[in-house]
Amino acid sequence: MQFKVASVDSLIIYFGDEIAQDVALKVKKAYQGLKSLKLEGLIEIIPSYTSIFISYDIFKYDYESLVKLLKQEINLDSKIEFEEKIVTIDTYYDPEVGLDLKDMAFKTNLSIDDIIGIHSNKLYDVYAIGFLPGFAYLASVDEAIAMPRLSTPRKQIPKGSVSIADTQTAVYPQASPGGWNILGRTALELFDRSLDTLSPLSVGDKVKFNPITKKEFLAQGGVL
Amino acid sequence: MSLEIINSPIFATIQDKGRFGFNSIGVTNSGVMDEYAYLIANKLLENSEDENIIEIAFSNVEFKALKDIKVALTGAKCEFFINNTLYPTWQTYSVKAGDIIKVGKIEEGARVYFGVKGGFDIKKEFGSNSTTLKEKLGGINADRLQKGQILESKKINEFYNIRLKEKFVPKYEDTLELRVILSYQDEFFYKEEIAKFFSSIYTVSNEFNRMGCKLQGEPVSCSIDGIISEGIGFGSIQIPSDGQPIILLKDRQTIGGYPKIGSVLSIDCFKLAQAKPKTKIKFKPIEIKKAQDIVKKFYSSLR
Repeated sequence: MQFKVASVDSLIIYFGDEIAQDVALKVKKAYQGLKSLKLEGLIEIIPSYTSIFISYDIFKYDYESLVKLLKQEINLDSKIEFEEKIVTIDTYYDPEVGLDLKDMAFKTNLSIDDIIGIHSNKLYDVYAIGFLPGFAYLASVDEAIAMPRLSTPRKQIPKGSVSIADTQTAVYPQASPGGWNILGRTALELFDRSLDTLSPLSVGDKVKFNPITKKEFLAQGGVL
Repeated sequence: MSLEIINSPIFATIQDKGRFGFNSIGVTNSGVMDEYAYLIANKLLENSEDENIIEIAFSNVEFKALKDIKVALTGAKCEFFINNTLYPTWQTYSVKAGDIIKVGKIEEGARVYFGVKGGFDIKKEFGSNSTTLKEKLGGINADRLQKGQILESKKINEFYNIRLKEKFVPKYEDTLELRVILSYQDEFFYKEEIAKFFSSIYTVSNEFNRMGCKLQGEPVSCSIDGIISEGIGFGSIQIPSDGQPIILLKDRQTIGGYPKIGSVLSIDCFKLAQAKPKTKIKFKPIEIKKAQDIVKKFYSSLR
């Protein structure tokens, strides 16, 4: 663990310097541990690929005292096994909603069915959540279907769009400008006000995309 | 009924201190851009320090009072009319049902804060009234205020009009010195680049909104292109590949992948919030310990 000042009221802890599962596991352990401690005065705790950012109440801690406390409290050697949560995202994959499917098939020399098969056949890790409420960065997509971001981002990507950028995949929780390649669409709410957690996904979870038909998509409340 | 918006278009949103505890699911903090002007408005009105307020970005907003209310205007120096009579700002007024209140031309600064005694009666979303357009959260329908909208204010008790002492009214200068804590990726900036950053004069560009403020000037280069996305705090200074610093403000994204040389002191960001394009910016380094003392003093003095 490497501690660093971020701003007058925040710090950042690094657990490694590359995107890797063992680093992600340390982030997950430290994040779960920090949340369960319910330390007063920690305002935001943002886990990401290799780091945890913390903003805090400077009337409760100065930088040195908080670092000291966190060093004592964060235990990366704990043997606690986490319940592995797998979230299934039902996805309607079709050029009708997968605006870049045809283009991706052309660029990869694969059939559309191959692309769908490769994308939905893998279990992805939630590495970070950000950019928009409920926007989860999932990795890693098979190299065969990895795609650079569009050279010109779209002004409006429809809500629920399942997409790829390089070896990352994600779902747009709301309509937004964006440059990721779109494969399909889900009716699942990624920012759900009825959930206590507000998002069905959190850092450390795993995600499986499940291909469904247009009929099923519409029955789930999907919008074309 | 207490206040009706009677002109359009306007660029005004409902804000408060912000939305906290949801960064981990990608929800930004949002909140008023200039906390000094905001806290003073609430103090003058004897409101709680996190009461909601109207943040006006491009002035020219007209309201009609629908009942007797107490109001206060702080922030940018602007024309402030009640029934066509010009009044000074940074003080409270009692307005009567039927009065027309107008926030006219901004003469100095950039953002005006218009508060009412008791605050507006608006349901909070995730603990805050702050409007974030990009995330479609807060305010009224998560949008800018519109002509014809009626804002209800909460019930109020007996109240006397008060004014802020002149010496506490800020001046919005053409040159601003922002104190910076070297942090995050500072070790990836060579000494000469850091020296250049602190010795140059930057200019506020037109790319300035609630998310951030892009500067123009001597480009600063970083020895790395990008970083693995990580959490970012208020005031952080991103250095994209063109070398022009971007200071991230209240509606910043919660995580990002550009290298950051450091962070502007929060209370200096409040001054930046009042800067107009072409304002000159100078950076000055400050140590974390000293910075925390100064910020604590700022908030203590406003309590």
